[in-house]
Amino acid sequence: MKALKSLLDRIAQRVNINLRELEFDVMPIAHHLVPLKQMTKFYAFYGITPNHSLSLEFRHSSLAGSYFLGRCRTNHSILYKTDVRGDELQKKGATFTFNGHTLTLAEDEIIDVQDSYLVKTLVHSYSHDPESRERFFVTNTLSCHYANIHGSPTDGSFLGPFATVDLTTMYDCAIGAYCYIQAGEIGHFHADPGMVWARSRGDFNFVYHHPLDRLKPYIDFVPGKAPTGVFMDFLEVRKKDFERVFDVVNLQRPKGIPSNASLDRYAVIKPKMHIAENVLVAQRAYLENSYLGKGANAQENCYIINSRLEGDNVTAHGAKIIDADLGNRVFVGFNSFLRGCPHCRLTIGSGTIVMPHTIIDIDRPLTIPANHFVWGMIADEADLAQNSMPLEDFARIDGRLYRGNLLFEGSGAAFVAAFQKRIEHILLDNGALFDGKRYKGHAQRNQNISVNTIQPYPEGRLKGMYPTILIQP
Amino acid sequence: MANVTIREIMVPLSEYATVREGATLLDAVLALEKAQEEFEHYQYRHRAVLVLNGEGRVVGKLSQLDVLSALEPGDSSDAELKQLMRLGFSHEFIRGFRKQKRLEAEPLKNLCGKAAGLKVEAFMQAPGEGEYVEATASLDIAVHQLVAGDHLSLLVTQGDAIVGVLRLADVFAAVFHLMKECQLT
Repeated sequence: MKALKSLLDRIAQRVNINLRELEFDVMPIAHHLVPLKQMTKFYAFYGITPNHSLSLEFRHSSLAGSYFLGRCRTNHSILYKTDVRGDELQKKGATFTFNGHTLTLAEDEIIDVQDSYLVKTLVHSYSHDPESRERFFVTNTLSCHYANIHGSPTDGSFLGPFATVDLTTMYDCAIGAYCYIQAGEIGHFHADPGMVWARSRGDFNFVYHHPLDRLKPYIDFVPGKAPTGVFMDFLEVRKKDFERVFDVVNLQRPKGIPSNASLDRYAVIKPKMHIAENVLVAQRAYLENSYLGKGANAQENCYIINSRLEGDNVTAHGAKIIDADLGNRVFVGFNSFLRGCPHCRLTIGSGTIVMPHTIIDIDRPLTIPANHFVWGMIADEADLAQNSMPLEDFARIDGRLYRGNLLFEGSGAAFVAAFQKRIEHILLDNGALFDGKRYKGHAQRNQNISVNTIQPYPEGRLKGMYPTILIQP
Repeated sequence: MANVTIREIMVPLSEYATVREGATLLDAVLALEKAQEEFEHYQYRHRAVLVLNGEGRVVGKLSQLDVLSALEPGDSSDAELKQLMRLGFSHEFIRGFRKQKRLEAEPLKNLCGKAAGLKVEAFMQAPGEGEYVEATASLDIAVHQLVAGDHLSLLVTQGDAIVGVLRLADVFAAVFHLMKECQLT
């Protein structure tokens, strides 16, 4: 395992060099995130479909339990149970407009992971960096459990557990646990745990800080130890269910799934599920005793348990919904944790937007009306009153809002419109709006994915490392 | 300018307001008041207090702004305000934020009462590398250090010891005097 150990040291050193200005040391974190012996236990796998470009290149890397789809290159990297989902990468000839210039991609886009250590991380979407549209890079970076790198080229950075960087190019940043950042471009920035930041320069700036004393029971991360708290406990007790889907080669597709819905073979589907048309269920999603109405989706690392989603619901990467009833078109953002209980259900009215990284954890029934905007930490009616607002009212903000731990500056109308536009795009991309002819999306295109596995050296100096592998059509 | 030395225009340490480590902000304010009363011959009033350690060496300087910072509501610390700027909020927004925090905070009278008992170490500034000047140095050296470092005063040294304080106001007065002389000759 010497090669793997020295690779880990090399990556940690490179990240530290990039973070020297912030005086942030990833060394104790890197060495205690996952025992290295785990790197030999799991195979890596990749998907092949007629609908996505295929170009995979793995060099001097360890890929235990990781999944690849589309075009990806890993070099001098360790990916542990990480999903690199390249089904939204841009193709050669695609055009985009920036600052009045229309540019064309000179070649197919590729996700390029170099000198990085990613643990249970999701890399998805496409590069939103106008300076690097052909190369979605993740370099000199360490990311912890259940981080999301979504459309965000990242260099020289650290992402804590359950952190999300969304549509943001990031250089030399340390992002604390459970932070959500969507800010266009950031550099040399240190975000404390629990910060939720969405900014569009010139339009709006939204910042919420989770109260640390209330966040700590959910996610507590101390360098030198694995993350702990409610989030990790919740996942841990359901880990066994995933072992079966990863161990069995040929899983039988559950009955009664409409032909235009997509159920990934690496999702856990437990009894009494209703899955309607145009539903998309991604790998590592977990569904149990729930109703997914037409066009609903459950993205990677989502858990939907004892719940009813009426239809066209977006449940973004890592979101959890337990004992809840959601109306039509409810959006639940990245890594949100919505937990009712059997005798105190959470009800969310149609059209409501739950901001990414929102925690709603209740011990009495709670109803959020339709067309509301919800954020932050909510345990009861009082929290809800402070951390929610009708979308119509939020859209009227023109200037400033100071409300509890929320700071907002700019145009509320632009903020709401940006969210609604994005939800529409997600539904379209996911195939929720497919009418039999038009608007095919992931739910229709990702149905028949062949999966191949690849394995590391079982013994010796290279134990845990994968040989150089090139996979092309 | 070169003919005037620092020693000629500095305030000797013995005439400056000082407190020992462990003193409270109230002790520092009283020391400042006392120094101002005792040394009325200075044209400009003292605006800072030096903090000395057990051996009598200067370990910090407490300005009027440092004392006022003790009255800031806990949530709007310097670090937090800097963070808001980094996050891209406008100056107007940050002003509004501070005002909001002030409204939510305790009345100023209560804050003053609490601040009086706080230790000077929590608010003093340790002198930086460019804040020392030799007693034998010329005035132009001092002007350069004050301007380049954006300082309100410098600590005057003789060997290893601090022997006085060179205040911006005294340097300005000396420069003003020289300017007038130049015009007359």
